[in-house]
Amino acid sequence: MPDKSEVLLGCAPITEKPGIDRAMRVAIQRVRHGKKAATFAHQQAFDAAIAKLVHKIPVDAQVAEWFANENLIPVVRRRWKKIVRNPVVIAIALALLVIGGIFAYRVREHLRDFPGADKARRLLTVASSTRSVLLDPLKTDAGALSDLFFLKHRLEHYDVPPEFADFKTLGQRVFDDEEVHRVAQIWAVEKRMQFFMFPAEANPKDGRVEDFSDWRFVELEGWTGAVVQRNGVVFMAAIRGGEKDIKPYLEKKKQ
Amino acid sequence: MTVTTKNLPQLYRFCFLMTGDASKAQAAFQDTVREAALRSARDEPPPDRLWFFRDARWRCLALSEQGLQAEPGMMEEAEISPFAPMQIEQLDPDQIGVWISAAPEPQRSAMALFYLDEFTLAELLSLLETKAGEFSDLICSGRRQFQSWLDATTPYYEGETFDAGQV
Repeated sequence: MPDKSEVLLGCAPITEKPGIDRAMRVAIQRVRHGKKAATFAHQQAFDAAIAKLVHKIPVDAQVAEWFANENLIPVVRRRWKKIVRNPVVIAIALALLVIGGIFAYRVREHLRDFPGADKARRLLTVASSTRSVLLDPLKTDAGALSDLFFLKHRLEHYDVPPEFADFKTLGQRVFDDEEVHRVAQIWAVEKRMQFFMFPAEANPKDGRVEDFSDWRFVELEGWTGAVVQRNGVVFMAAIRGGEKDIKPYLEKKKQ
Repeated sequence: MTVTTKNLPQLYRFCFLMTGDASKAQAAFQDTVREAALRSARDEPPPDRLWFFRDARWRCLALSEQGLQAEPGMMEEAEISPFAPMQIEQLDPDQIGVWISAAPEPQRSAMALFYLDEFTLAELLSLLETKAGEFSDLICSGRRQFQSWLDATTPYYEGETFDAGQV
């Protein structure tokens, strides 16, 4: 039984073209420097002579007319379409699209970020998982709870902004979070909104707490928080939905 | 490599080697090119140049089925002679067409495609849907058979050839 190189040499290319695989090149090189060099040379000369004869096959005049018509077979120029339809390219493009989307989302999120935004997002997860039974039932106006937080828990400036001060409450609680620290949580009747108050974050550069009176927004998993910071305390009104769901409440007070 | 009319002479030669008959070769060639043009008009052009040779091969085989069919293993074989190139030089191109077209399949297709000196081994194997070992066997036995035929019809005697067809 012939070995692989003998098999390859049996059908060695007549003229060496680019694209000949490595195994064939190696087999040819070896035989040219081995004992069978003369036999292989005869074979190559034999093949070359036949190929030369084949190339002399006359082409009928009627057939030759077909060669003159360059437009007979349009040159295929659909390479880009072929590339685009390649499943690998589609998969890569989709992956890049998803990565790009996530990147753009993160950039957009961080452009709107403010000190304490991460803590506010963390509390949105608390809002989404809190059940009303966890809170101490208390039916009053949200604005009235500032005194309770101060007197009972010694939480100074834990004030509900005027925009939400008139909202009726269902319950409240104060709890410690390992990252946010002392958090006051109020559950309102209106659209099951939840209010959070927690200590503001100091600027790491100078250690100062910079308040802001304009409403800023954070979003997480279908929840939106409207955030404002006064007297070193952050207030966040959290609602299930988007910015458009909470903005009307912020604009009412302006009017 | 894209297919242009520059590749077509090779396609015609292939048809001639497969059929050994100019009119049959012309018919197979024209039908293949016409089919390619129709496909292109439908915006489904042939994917590569191999398509042309595959299509032409089956057309040639269909045309050849009408005649007598050679059977494998019926021809004598001889070792390749160092004088073979001189013997081959004495032949007409028609004779090689007649000889290859008389070979049994798949040897006929293998030799026709191989001696066009147009394709890489990988392309040849793809066209013939065969493996390297089988293809190599077909070519090697084809060589020896052709040498035997050469020795019978165009023997070479120390610097001069004798064409058995000469009077």
